[in-house]
Amino acid sequence: MDRLLPLIQNETLKIWKKKRFYVVVLVLIVLIPVFTYAQLKIAETNRKNFKDWRNQLVQQINEYQNMLSSERIPEEWKRNRRIAVQQLQYYLDHDVNPNSPDGVTFTRSFMANAVNLFYPLLVLAVASDLVSGERSAGTIKMLLTRPVRRWKILFSKLIALTLYVSLTVVVSAILCYLISGAVFGYGGWGMPVFTGFVINGSTVESTYVHAVPQWLYVLMEGGLIWVSSMTVAILALMVSVLVRSTAASIVTMMAAVIAGTILSTMSSSWESAKYVFAVNLQLTDYLAGSPPPIQGMTLSFSLIILAIWSAIGLIVSFGVFTKQDIMN
Amino acid sequence: MSRTSSSALWRSIAFSALASTLLLAGGFGYAVKDMLYPSAEAYTGAPVKSVLPEHKELSRAKEINVTAIGDSLTKGTGDATGDGYVKQLVSLLKEKYPAIPVKLNNNLAVNGIRADQLAQRLSTDKGYRYALRQSNLIVFTIGGNDLFQIANGRAAGEATGDISLETVKKGLNQGIDRLDNVFRLLYEINPNAHIVYTGLYNPFYNITDLRDGSLQVQKWNEEAYSLLHQYPNMMMVPSFDLFERSIGSYLSNDHFHPNHEGYAQIAERIAQSLD
Repeated sequence: MDRLLPLIQNETLKIWKKKRFYVVVLVLIVLIPVFTYAQLKIAETNRKNFKDWRNQLVQQINEYQNMLSSERIPEEWKRNRRIAVQQLQYYLDHDVNPNSPDGVTFTRSFMANAVNLFYPLLVLAVASDLVSGERSAGTIKMLLTRPVRRWKILFSKLIALTLYVSLTVVVSAILCYLISGAVFGYGGWGMPVFTGFVINGSTVESTYVHAVPQWLYVLMEGGLIWVSSMTVAILALMVSVLVRSTAASIVTMMAAVIAGTILSTMSSSWESAKYVFAVNLQLTDYLAGSPPPIQGMTLSFSLIILAIWSAIGLIVSFGVFTKQDIMN
Repeated sequence: MSRTSSSALWRSIAFSALASTLLLAGGFGYAVKDMLYPSAEAYTGAPVKSVLPEHKELSRAKEINVTAIGDSLTKGTGDATGDGYVKQLVSLLKEKYPAIPVKLNNNLAVNGIRADQLAQRLSTDKGYRYALRQSNLIVFTIGGNDLFQIANGRAAGEATGDISLETVKKGLNQGIDRLDNVFRLLYEINPNAHIVYTGLYNPFYNITDLRDGSLQVQKWNEEAYSLLHQYPNMMMVPSFDLFERSIGSYLSNDHFHPNHEGYAQIAERIAQSLD
């Protein structure tokens, strides 16, 4: 343990002083009110058009069903709609409002929507220049000439990165709750949320469906988001070791993440796309019971894929970082 | 930055980040456990108590809440503006009862639905029942898909070739039994609302081979009338005459559904018939 803790401290403070985390918080502070406002508008329209949430839900189910009867809609789409109809119906039958307007519900849906693109982006803001930044600034020579083994340096960077990933997830949830709560109210902690929908083709089995209080649901979401964000962080660290410039490192990772998002919306016919890490980032979908991007994907499958990618990322980062010559 | 403040910063970052990490790791662990080994305990929510609206004439009601159910005619298929007869009816009612707020609660019509499918929904679907119990005016159309026996899921207009007088005759008896069910269930769900059923018309009146289909349509309407006549809160509005001589101006391009004008006529009739 000797020397490791001071190294971690050093790396953590370096990231802090580079104001990377400020950027993350700033982005959140700007974006969350925008989404809150959009949500407020939707809630206002719904209040104007519907007597209560049940009417709204019944109408929504009806609209999905009408879409199902159309011939012009692709089968894949219909499958998703059928699943959504059955889940909404389950909420209706059990007298639970799936979208009650309150701070905790907003936080829950914000986090679920942000998992595949927004969180990776925030993580990249911190992770992308961890090594390449030192290289372009020239400080890497100073770092490496100290009498410390190289793996310890990279390891301390990894730990510092982990700390910031955790902070990002937790701070985003807190900000989300505080900002949206100011508009929608701070309630909704104990509201039941259903989880455990098992999807078989286009039917939803409700044998294992159970209600969890919403605070626990948000916590579970946070945990899953943390795992997918950590995968992105580790891969970003690897890219940042491999690539000389920070810009190249950010672009590479962003391209991978965006490609994953596009793949998961259109690659239902290309099955092997499910081995791409970016297609597996949406872990929260398993919690909500939304159909996975490619049929046959499960939580365990996604976790294994993410673990494999992370392991490869770590092996490559440490392998390269401890061996490579520093010349510039 | 001095050494002390820097180490205080480190300590607060490290502490909050470690706490966050533990929290999230806990959340992750629980999520995995919860999903891989789900404990299914049934959840029973607080059931709603819905109060039926008072039974009185619409002109003396405090507010008019409209719920529409049925098939594509109620959905408004064929109307380029998307209004159908339901939205047009709501605006007509607003003119007719300027002092009473008129609101469309739900339009739960489904394209291509048959009377047996509607009866199924009425008996099992909580949402349908909830929406219907709230309203004091229910408008609906059903039966077109039973009578003309259009293959399920096909757009009505495309199926014209499949239709013969024989199939229409076969559809009649079966359809009437299903219709009886629909009336009975509707009365059971909401005996206080004004319920208006719009009768069928023959969309193929101008096709010589199918003109006799009008006789079946008339039989349907007659049977339907005698069925709903026993329920004091129901009434029927005819539409068959609109689509005979003036079929060209009231029918939409699919040769099956009314166009905006056609729906306007239906809405007008319903508004006229209400007290």
